[in-house]
Amino acid sequence: MYWTGLSPDEARQYLANKDKSKKDKRMTLKAAVEKFVNDGDNIGIGGFVNARQPIAIVHEIIRQGRKDLILSFQSAGLAPEYLAGAMAIDPDHLSIKRMELAYFAHEAFGISPLLRYLTENSLVELEDWSNYNMSARFKAASIGLPFIPCRSPLGSDMLQTNRAKVITCPFTERPIMLLPASHPNVALIHVQEADIYGNCRIQGPLYTCPEIAMAAANIIVTCDRLIEYDEMTRYPNRISLPYFAVDAVIEVPFGSYPGNCNGIHYFDEQHIQEFRGLCEKARKGDKAGLKEYYDKYIFGVKNTTEFVNQLPLSQIQHVQKIEPGIRLDAGFTVLE
Amino acid sequence: MKKEYAKNFTPQEMIVVAGSRTLPDKKVVFAGTGLPMVAITLAQLTHGPGIVPVFEAGAVGPELSRGLPLSVGDSRTTYKANYLLGLNSAFELTQRGYCDFGFIGGAEIDPYGNLNSTMMGTFPDGYQKPKVRLPGSGGASDMACSCEQTIIIMVHEPRRFNEKISYVTSPGFLDGSPNARQKAGLVGKGPYRVITTKAILGFDEETSRMKLLATLPGETPKSVQDATGFELIIPSDVIEFEPPTEEEIRLIREQIDPKGYFVAKKIKE
Repeated sequence: MYWTGLSPDEARQYLANKDKSKKDKRMTLKAAVEKFVNDGDNIGIGGFVNARQPIAIVHEIIRQGRKDLILSFQSAGLAPEYLAGAMAIDPDHLSIKRMELAYFAHEAFGISPLLRYLTENSLVELEDWSNYNMSARFKAASIGLPFIPCRSPLGSDMLQTNRAKVITCPFTERPIMLLPASHPNVALIHVQEADIYGNCRIQGPLYTCPEIAMAAANIIVTCDRLIEYDEMTRYPNRISLPYFAVDAVIEVPFGSYPGNCNGIHYFDEQHIQEFRGLCEKARKGDKAGLKEYYDKYIFGVKNTTEFVNQLPLSQIQHVQKIEPGIRLDAGFTVLE
Repeated sequence: MKKEYAKNFTPQEMIVVAGSRTLPDKKVVFAGTGLPMVAITLAQLTHGPGIVPVFEAGAVGPELSRGLPLSVGDSRTTYKANYLLGLNSAFELTQRGYCDFGFIGGAEIDPYGNLNSTMMGTFPDGYQKPKVRLPGSGGASDMACSCEQTIIIMVHEPRRFNEKISYVTSPGFLDGSPNARQKAGLVGKGPYRVITTKAILGFDEETSRMKLLATLPGETPKSVQDATGFELIIPSDVIEFEPPTEEEIRLIREQIDPKGYFVAKKIKE
């Protein structure tokens, strides 16, 4: 058996040595990525398809460049597409070595052009799982177990190429599948609200964010708004991630744009289609448009604010207006 | 009230209507992305107001009246939801036995209802260099395994209906041998219906092979067989499926998917 990221024993040891003090964890996104994302890391990607994906963090990783990344996620769209696009443009600057995944596409917006590019040209190593499998693998890790039993997808061809094992259940004597835990080196998580110590309040579907985060050695959190600690702890049940697990907190409004962030903004369909269209052209061999996109929106800017600033205000107001999720009262936000 | 049948409709609209009518009221239905979401919404608006949709990203039992979700994880799945956590909780409900139907699609299907949504090419040798890479399982294989029954939707073309498929992503009746699912350790009963652009199909109880139940408007048992890459069981009592009503088509076009995200998509040849 081989582990990607940390083995269960390494993950346990890592936490034993971790500083769990309640301190102000604000830093720049640039500093957080410099500190917590390394070449060869297994990266756990939060969100689900194009909703609440850690786009701001991914853009910063692309600016800095990293090699031989392992991406672990259940279903994702924009985050791996952006990373794959950077690799398509310049594999010496950024490269993905392996993906442990259940689904990589954009649902209503179409399939992923660059998943096809990477796999059909055999540029990455793949390990296919189901959505439940990836979620349960993170869950096993997050509860300190080396594996977790699961009933699906027994009988699928996935089991021929992934690390799942089928055993006879010692209690029922029927076949059952065991999934190895997944402990990423770093989890990339975008949430609606966090406090300066790292407590996070996720709104709407949790996806697998709490499990991915608690499974990882380090956690980078971006949030749409930073709220006062007293506001956060008024509702302890609503804290999705406790501060002592989190390593870096960065307030990045629109940190999951152009995806959907529950209660904040809906998908920017126009921008997603524009980006996806350029990825499709790149798959077919014409990378000029994609390169221009990266130069304009990622390499040519310092942060998400400068990225989003290039779009018309009306386009931004539109995605805020059509967001159907509940607008929670943030209470007092952190002013500076 | 006299029923008025629609004069024109797209193949996707026909699938949506057939899918909707297949769903009984007051059942828990795990919804895959795309046409299943449209079909469930149509069922909620017609005969099935008590249907409980489950979305794998976390939302359970919402009202689908804040716009058609473009993703199963989208904010539109959360309106008036009765339970909302994440992927683990949705699949745990399924594994426990709360989900009556899973509603999924695939790129390729075999006579036993096994589905491929992972890759085209040779497996396992060509796994790391597929001819065409598809998005992957997502939650479809989990639904196919652990929902009590599965409803599958397919574009009906010979190249998608094959005796042997490139890759089994979502298990149907596996090799069709007696109790194959049970022996594999699966808990759900397996495929119930296959709804295609040409027909409604089921499965023979003895052989677990696909069986024609009804032809859609404009199709005959022969035209359905001609579009299928393997031999279908064609019993003598195949019926003609009742065409979509004007009201069903109006609901789809005006209320559910007015922008045509899923129902107006061109079927790729």
